[in-house]
Amino acid sequence: MIDEKLLEEAKQSVLDGDKELAAKLARQGLDAGVDPVEFIEKGFVPGIMEVGDLFESGEIFLPEVMMAADAVKEAVGILNEAIEASGKKRGGAAKVVLATVEADLHDIGKGIVASLMVANGFEVIDLGRDVPSQKIVDTAIEEGADIIGTSALLTTTMTHQKEIEELLKEKGLKGKIKTMVGGAPVTERWQKKIGADGFGENAADAVRLVKELMGKKTN
Amino acid sequence: MAIVHSQASGMGGVRTAGDLVARMQLAKSMRLNDAKKYVADKLGVGLLDLTDEVVMREVREELDISTVYMGYGAASRGIEAKANIAKLLDIEINCVEKFKNKTGMKF
Amino acid sequence: MVLTRMGDGAFVKMTESEVRKEVEAGVEEAVKKAKCSPLTEDDIKRLIEIICEPRKFVSVERGNELVLTYDSQPLKFTRLGLPIAMPQILQTYERGLMADTLEMAYVHYSAKPVKMIFPEEQYVVAETLLTTTPALLYGVMPNMPMYTKPDGPCENASELLPKGLIKEAQEAQLEAADLLERDLLLLGEAMYEAGADGLDLDTTAAGGDAEFYACLRAIEKLKERYPNMSIEVGMAGEFVLGFHGSLEYKGERLAGMYPHDQCRMIAKAGGNIAGPAINTNTRKSFPWNLARAVTMCKYAAEVSPIPVHANVGMGVGGVPMQITPPIDCVSRASTAMAEIGKMDGL
Repeated sequence: MIDEKLLEEAKQSVLDGDKELAAKLARQGLDAGVDPVEFIEKGFVPGIMEVGDLFESGEIFLPEVMMAADAVKEAVGILNEAIEASGKKRGGAAKVVLATVEADLHDIGKGIVASLMVANGFEVIDLGRDVPSQKIVDTAIEEGADIIGTSALLTTTMTHQKEIEELLKEKGLKGKIKTMVGGAPVTERWQKKIGADGFGENAADAVRLVKELMGKKTN
Repeated sequence: MAIVHSQASGMGGVRTAGDLVARMQLAKSMRLNDAKKYVADKLGVGLLDLTDEVVMREVREELDISTVYMGYGAASRGIEAKANIAKLLDIEINCVEKFKNKTGMKF
Repeated sequence: MVLTRMGDGAFVKMTESEVRKEVEAGVEEAVKKAKCSPLTEDDIKRLIEIICEPRKFVSVERGNELVLTYDSQPLKFTRLGLPIAMPQILQTYERGLMADTLEMAYVHYSAKPVKMIFPEEQYVVAETLLTTTPALLYGVMPNMPMYTKPDGPCENASELLPKGLIKEAQEAQLEAADLLERDLLLLGEAMYEAGADGLDLDTTAAGGDAEFYACLRAIEKLKERYPNMSIEVGMAGEFVLGFHGSLEYKGERLAGMYPHDQCRMIAKAGGNIAGPAINTNTRKSFPWNLARAVTMCKYAAEVSPIPVHANVGMGVGGVPMQITPPIDCVSRASTAMAEIGKMDGL
């Protein structure tokens, strides 16, 4: 059991974007003999999740999100070293290929999703915007990605999300590489219609979805 | 969408007095009730008349400020109607001012 | 049972008490998010009546009608595949569709590309003004991301921020905001000189707080030069995205502003009409979404010194996110925004 006060301080250091304090708390925890995996999951992760929620309601802004991300990165880096040294394993961080689909030049929403994913410690390969479906799938295969996330702002471009599902089926990778879709006109109804694995209403939802999909992933 | 809104909550454009109330919102930032009252007073009609197609067609024809009917002998249209609307509502309408400058007409 | 819909447009059946629960939850969510006043019990009862009305189409009571301003009218016909010239489209809106205002717009609709062809647009505006009666605005989306790489010369904050390059991202946004402001001034002047009644800035702040900042500054300068110019500002979302995070206009931080504050700032800059856009959550019900949107809009109308015209269409103002928004929902949202939200227009 980790002291509640230490967990709360860890969470708060993330909310404050205080990199130095986060690192200090990580070391302090290790000195006190806490389980580093538990410390990450119960202290720093709740902090960054709350940051995502605060961002979604317009209470904090992207620069603050990125400062929080820096704090998490610093603390988790220290704790990960201890995890490796002990021979234990923490559940692998998701590797996500993100892109705005072909013929769609809108990348603001995708940029926010990328920022929040990075802040949550996921490895993000951001292919940018106007990316052909084939390139998205090929990159996911080459990089050994767990998840493909695509954004579409236009009703005329969202059909490319369906194309990605078809390409994965052709290659026998459906279910192995999970897919998540988002963007202004995209709905859960569309996600189910095309057979994607998940739909994110907003950036914080997308982060939660990655965690959920990683739980379901079968290799 | 335009049709649904116009039937559900719209004032009716040039068919009634919607365009005139909109003009006062755009020209003077008048809130809805103030703009409706201002227009009704200028037209000499009641508030409910502003969205009555029967009353407003007659009023618009009499004041020569355009109606949806554009047949021969119809009320003034386009720039003609706007010149009359500017006088009636006591506002400057940009394109009417430009028209005056270009033609040298004073009205 | 009440037949209503979800935010993605799918039909769902609820009892009247379930509708009430959804409405109350929507109001609560609006109050929590926007920190605004809740609807009154009378408002809630009326909203439930509107939602539960068995007829497919609902409309306001006589006397409660409001003004309708439409954005990008020519584009609406282009999307329908109807190749009609722009002046004729506006005439159709005037005489066939009962529009209270008209809006000319180029098919791309963003300020930057319009800049390249504005003399041609001036011609169409001038031509249309001769034959139409309602006020005619020229509409553009500020669309600040068009000034960032790969479309423009400025660095792209969407790429810099995930890399943690905060200062660089903020500087890049200010550079883009400056270019946008210049283009809005150019277009505003061009269209006013062509005779238009003014400008409509649509989906403002889609690119975040720096975009909102550029628009407010442009409005202020345009009004200094042309005090009679009419300016309408439609927003992109319910709160201003904090991409920069610390930009202020007249001493107030723009990031995170909800509709009531957005309307105040638009008025401060000299805008004549403010248009809040409350996003629809596709996973929530229509009653929840409509209650939430009406709550935020009603409060905005209460505090705004200028007319408020809520955006009520695909995915905003309580309407489901569907390219063909269902008539039952649109007519209810239209009615509720007029009678409960006390909007000056839509």
